[in-house]
Amino acid sequence: MNRKYELVYIVSPDATDDQVAELHTLIEEIVQRMDGQIEKTENWGRRRLAYEIGRHKEGTYVLELINGSGELLKEIDRRLKVSDLVIRQLAVRVDEVHEIVERTRSKRSEASRRRRVARGLPPDRQPSEGQRGDSDDDRDDRDDRFDMGDRR
Amino acid sequence: MNGRKTFGGGAGGGRGRAGQNQAGKDGQQRRPMFRRRKICKFCADKIDDINYKDTRLLMPFVPERAKILPRRISGTCALHQRKLRVAILRARQLALIPYTAE
Repeated sequence: MNRKYELVYIVSPDATDDQVAELHTLIEEIVQRMDGQIEKTENWGRRRLAYEIGRHKEGTYVLELINGSGELLKEIDRRLKVSDLVIRQLAVRVDEVHEIVERTRSKRSEASRRRRVARGLPPDRQPSEGQRGDSDDDRDDRDDRFDMGDRR
Repeated sequence: MNGRKTFGGGAGGGRGRAGQNQAGKDGQQRRPMFRRRKICKFCADKIDDINYKDTRLLMPFVPERAKILPRRISGTCALHQRKLRVAILRARQLALIPYTAE
């Protein structure tokens, strides 16, 4: 079962760049061993923590997008917990959320197209229509119905 | 309440005159006190994905004491408040947002 996870971990500010890279290869190895893939790695660099963790006030954030099974994530989580350099980690499953977001987005654009057609406009926003953001589109509709009904 | 037309709209005596003219039904009926209708920021701006990494988006919902702003004040809809809550909880775990103000 392949799922998509987002893993963020905070490396202690005392760690050198080499150690951070080492940690990344460690995760890469585990991922490969348990046949998953790393889709993306992002190093956010050193950031201030919102509160102290242990005695640290700063940390290096690293984000990894991982394709793999739950077992794989469990193993990574375990290894990171053992590591002294990692002061915090969080793994979140993201594939389902992405899907839902995608669906609502397509549903909305479809609905706005339908409304525009009903109003006798071309389905897509024309560049000549000015700077009104997409957001007014359906809110206008909602309010207009009241106003027009009463005034005209 | 008052005969002055300038107040118009639904602001003042809208309720009293509702029978003879349409002022009372003008769009949303406003109460005597001026109270702006609260709007869910996420619905209005069409933000589908409330992400825990987006601190800029979350910060306005955790004022000074770093407590989560309740729905009754922010006007966020139930669906988005739930998503917001999860995002804030996650962001706190990663020390992107404080649990409490020191």
